[in-house]
Amino acid sequence: MSANDGGDKGTRNLVIIMVAFIVVVGVVFSLISNRSSSTAAIPASVSAADGYGIVLNPSAKPTIDVYIDYQCPACKNFELINGGYLNEVIAQNKAKVVYHPMTFIGPESILAANAAACAADENEFVDMNLALFQGQASSENSGKWQNDTLLNLGKSVGINSAKFEKCIKDGNYVKWTGNVSAASAKANINSTPTIFVNGKQLDRNTEYGDPVKFRAALAAGGVK
Amino acid sequence: MDAKFKVVQPWLTLFSRLILGGVLLLAGALKIGNLQKSAMAVRAYELLPVSLANLLGYALPWVEIGVGLLLITGAAVRISGLIGAFTMLAFIIAISQAWARGLSIDCGCFGGGGAIDPEDTKYLTEIIRDLGLLILGIYLYFYPKGRFSLDK
Repeated sequence: MSANDGGDKGTRNLVIIMVAFIVVVGVVFSLISNRSSSTAAIPASVSAADGYGIVLNPSAKPTIDVYIDYQCPACKNFELINGGYLNEVIAQNKAKVVYHPMTFIGPESILAANAAACAADENEFVDMNLALFQGQASSENSGKWQNDTLLNLGKSVGINSAKFEKCIKDGNYVKWTGNVSAASAKANINSTPTIFVNGKQLDRNTEYGDPVKFRAALAAGGVK
Repeated sequence: MDAKFKVVQPWLTLFSRLILGGVLLLAGALKIGNLQKSAMAVRAYELLPVSLANLLGYALPWVEIGVGLLLITGAAVRISGLIGAFTMLAFIIAISQAWARGLSIDCGCFGGGGAIDPEDTKYLTEIIRDLGLLILGIYLYFYPKGRFSLDK
């Protein structure tokens, strides 16, 4: 019969069972691997209570949360436009600034975030953050961000310690990037950059690309 | 049943299985390598509570792959076609509400997803495509028996 020229019942059932098995194992594996890890090494400046972000000026007020991915072009623009002012705010202790380096663009985002965290341990986060954006490759996962290029980038901002080198080469904080991702997912971050001042999200259509409006938004949030 | 349709029906079933199954398999496979992005795409619809959206983002690609494999091999076609149709209906509802509410997102159907520029949205194309696939799924529910199928 034309409608019945396929295999036998045993094969059919076996295929159904195998497919169901793949789906169940896949779902369980995905749920587990996207959870926060309690054993991940975290940089000294990172606080679980702040979504595993890198915290600068922990006791200052207000709080500015910055969600970025080091491979995201819009984040690079944001850094080039507003990073200078934001770094001034950090240097003058005018706000607690929490950086959340997300890694949804892929493996090189993870390596870059790890390098930023290693730099944070050397108290060089701000310079490394800027250098990572300035050196952003024109395409995603192009091969540019590897451990040796990131190590050289660190040297270019004056980090020469053996500890930093080991931190990069061992991928000390790679697991931590998973914690940042899990926390960012919980915080409902759907695109980067996303900036909050005291929990209030800035308007991405007007306040990210305009330094005057960005400054005004921070001032409205209590940055003096 | 019309005699002509009787001849064409098993081939139409095969065609529907391969198209719907192939699209689902591809869509799942393209998402599986970046589940963070998949969860982000689901969250961007702003339809489900965040925890549920994340769960769906991690689970959906596997379900798509599973249903895709079943349809292509022709195992449990009736129920797979129904699940496929329901999935498409859910996508159509999700995309339509995003459109109606003026969100600017990529559907994230084949990886990607999340917020995009308003002029880059392709809601109508996405809805028409999913509507076509929905019809194939419904057809498979009513006519699951076809050519080259594991189902007897």
